[in-house]
Amino acid sequence: MDSILQRFSGARLGVNAATALVIWGLLTWLNQVIDPLMSYYLATTAMYATAMFGMTILLGLSGQVSLGNGALMAIGGYIFAVTSMNWQTVPLLGTPWNAVWSMVFAGVGGVVFGAAIGGIAARLRGPYLAGLTLGIAVGVPAIANRFPGLLGGENGLMLQVPYPEGGYASQDVGSEEETEESSEIGVGDEPVYEELPDEFADQGEQSGVDDMLTEDDFLSEDDMLTEDDFLSEDDMLTEDDFLSDEDFSTDEGFDTELVEEDLLTDDDFLSEEDFTTDEGFEASVDAGAETQNGGDAGGGNEFVGGTDPAAELDPAGLDSEFVIEQWQASVAIAVACVVGFVALNLVRGRQGRVWEAVRDDPIAAAVSGISPAGSKISAFVVSSLFAALAGAVFAQILSYVGPGAFTLGLSLSLLVGVVLGGRNSFIGAIIGAVILVWLPEFVLGLSADRGWQDQITNNAPNFIYGLLVVLVVLVAPGGIVGGIQGLVGRFRSDSRTG
Amino acid sequence: MIDFIDYLLGGVSSGAIIALMALALVLVWRSTRVVNFAQIGQAMFTTYVALTIRELTGSWFLALIVAMAAGLVLGVLVHFLVIRPVKRLDTSGAIIATFGVLIALEALAAMVWGGDPEAFPPPIENAGYELFGRIWPFSPYDLLVLVSVVILVLALSVVFTRTNVGLAMRASAFNPEVARLSGVRVNRMLVLGWAIAGLVGAVAGVLVAPLSTLSPTSFDIFLVFAFTAAVIGGLDSLVGAVAFGIGTGLVIALVSGYSDSSNAPLVALALLILNLLFKPEGVFSHHKARAV
Repeated sequence: MDSILQRFSGARLGVNAATALVIWGLLTWLNQVIDPLMSYYLATTAMYATAMFGMTILLGLSGQVSLGNGALMAIGGYIFAVTSMNWQTVPLLGTPWNAVWSMVFAGVGGVVFGAAIGGIAARLRGPYLAGLTLGIAVGVPAIANRFPGLLGGENGLMLQVPYPEGGYASQDVGSEEETEESSEIGVGDEPVYEELPDEFADQGEQSGVDDMLTEDDFLSEDDMLTEDDFLSEDDMLTEDDFLSDEDFSTDEGFDTELVEEDLLTDDDFLSEEDFTTDEGFEASVDAGAETQNGGDAGGGNEFVGGTDPAAELDPAGLDSEFVIEQWQASVAIAVACVVGFVALNLVRGRQGRVWEAVRDDPIAAAVSGISPAGSKISAFVVSSLFAALAGAVFAQILSYVGPGAFTLGLSLSLLVGVVLGGRNSFIGAIIGAVILVWLPEFVLGLSADRGWQDQITNNAPNFIYGLLVVLVVLVAPGGIVGGIQGLVGRFRSDSRTG
Repeated sequence: MIDFIDYLLGGVSSGAIIALMALALVLVWRSTRVVNFAQIGQAMFTTYVALTIRELTGSWFLALIVAMAAGLVLGVLVHFLVIRPVKRLDTSGAIIATFGVLIALEALAAMVWGGDPEAFPPPIENAGYELFGRIWPFSPYDLLVLVSVVILVLALSVVFTRTNVGLAMRASAFNPEVARLSGVRVNRMLVLGWAIAGLVGAVAGVLVAPLSTLSPTSFDIFLVFAFTAAVIGGLDSLVGAVAFGIGTGLVIALVSGYSDSSNAPLVALALLILNLLFKPEGVFSHHKARAV
């Protein structure tokens, strides 16, 4: 396919646009005729492909091994969620908000962070860059814990999928403000997440002040330990007892008691669990998870987490689920096609040659007037833009953003997909995306036939990924696409000589 | 002030363990110029082996010995099956391959032992010592960790400075060509480097498991800490790895104590970025080999 298109290099822009349009049309048609589950897989595949186009540029063309793209997806996803939940109008412009603006802001965020990371990364090579981006992949999602009010902390944010009519697709026609409020208040209360928002929402309506709740949160972070100490003394306990005896039936006593208890559990449990068991938490939020054990290891857990919203939506009725899945897929397809079009133009133009020149010989490139650092930074910026857009799509597919959705496993699975598919071509990225979505389902089908244990079924895909990555690096560094090209090339040369 | 001392004391044992992990990374880097990102996966895997042995026999010490042996074997296996064939090709290939090994090991552990976090109880009391009328955040187990790490580091330094094998290893790390011309079997030294690194990593895993929980991915964060320490130390300096491993542990303990433990990865990241921006060759390194 590459070779056919390259002959028309004069009409490159038109050919690329036509390619993207044809693919978009085909996938859109496909999205209309397949069932919702397949639409969901299509959406996930397109989302992975979007992120991996960026990985192809970064890893394949620019030659930089980065694990930070999962973190950049987190940045895009969080920007999408926060802006679409909190902003009713576009700042400065004043026009009504819609999801496209959230995507734009997610992209801008990706560019800004990509430039920042790229500026550091351009000074590093090989293992240092990989280690730094590993730290970014682990560290950046943890930032959400620092802003439990805005970013939802460990619990993340549930968001409604924005619909084209400009409103939100809500099952129970709840107002937007209520959903915002409940998702903010639910912060950190793992065990009582589903019960709390209602009570607090009532409280919020009675007092009518939202800020009170955030004050509570701030107090809980700083002064908890001293409160603990005071409470443990005998005097405090007796006072509490008297108060609770007097006001046993009234709302106020109940509220304060409940608040204090919650804060105590927040602090103790979160401070210990944060650190080690992201995935365990993810499993607990996604109550409809089909599979638990597998969530932990490596890259596969995103698929596990990904199937949950669909499972949760089941009771809401088939019609609404159908619309949501299809809409998510159409968004993901559109974004992937636009990103793919931009990527094709970049790579087949001057910029692609600049990246390759710097990758193959930085000194020769510098002598030719190309800035190696600038080239590496631009590769980072482009791949970060793509990753952030993919993250925004991911947030819509999951209807959720949280540290548990953007784990190191996500970054690793992007690396796996690009390496397996072929790190030097966008077709390789698409093949890698298909593998990432298809293999877990294939293994699930196998295990249903053979009756494997859950912990084997859920982790076998990652095990296979790991082995395949090593095998590909050893045997066919160009991945599947590179391998096929090599075979075709050998066949052609054989037929010519023979 | 007493808080400060408490936080520092609490960070000593985790710092010592980070130092061990950093040491493992440095040993591999010195022998093959590869950062083994699978090191933490190997340590996690051998810790699961230790857990199994301990559940079977009830002996923590036996579990530690078996884990060390398993770590040694695993290090040699990874070197022969993955690194040696890849090494000829390219550095990014080697990096990607170590991540492949990490993914495979984590998945394999989850397949064999399940993905849920498991408790790895300390062999001795892990409650703080009581002295001068207050409880200090330093337990008998912390002491055990510290003593184990000191013994291991001393043993390694004796091997490296006082034995012929150690001299040969240092020679092959410093200049493989000259070492080969002087009759050192460099390839054997590479294998030995991976074997010792696997052993050291296994000890780190068994020691850290009671302080955290044991799950296929629960050690990942220590890879970030250890990499930070190793890079700040210069990536080829054993002394630097130990010093900055402990230093990283103490800084993380202080930040966790004064703010929140969820800041720890961000602190490590900040340390790493500051180091890479201002002293990219590391503090203890001889080489200046990191220009673009």
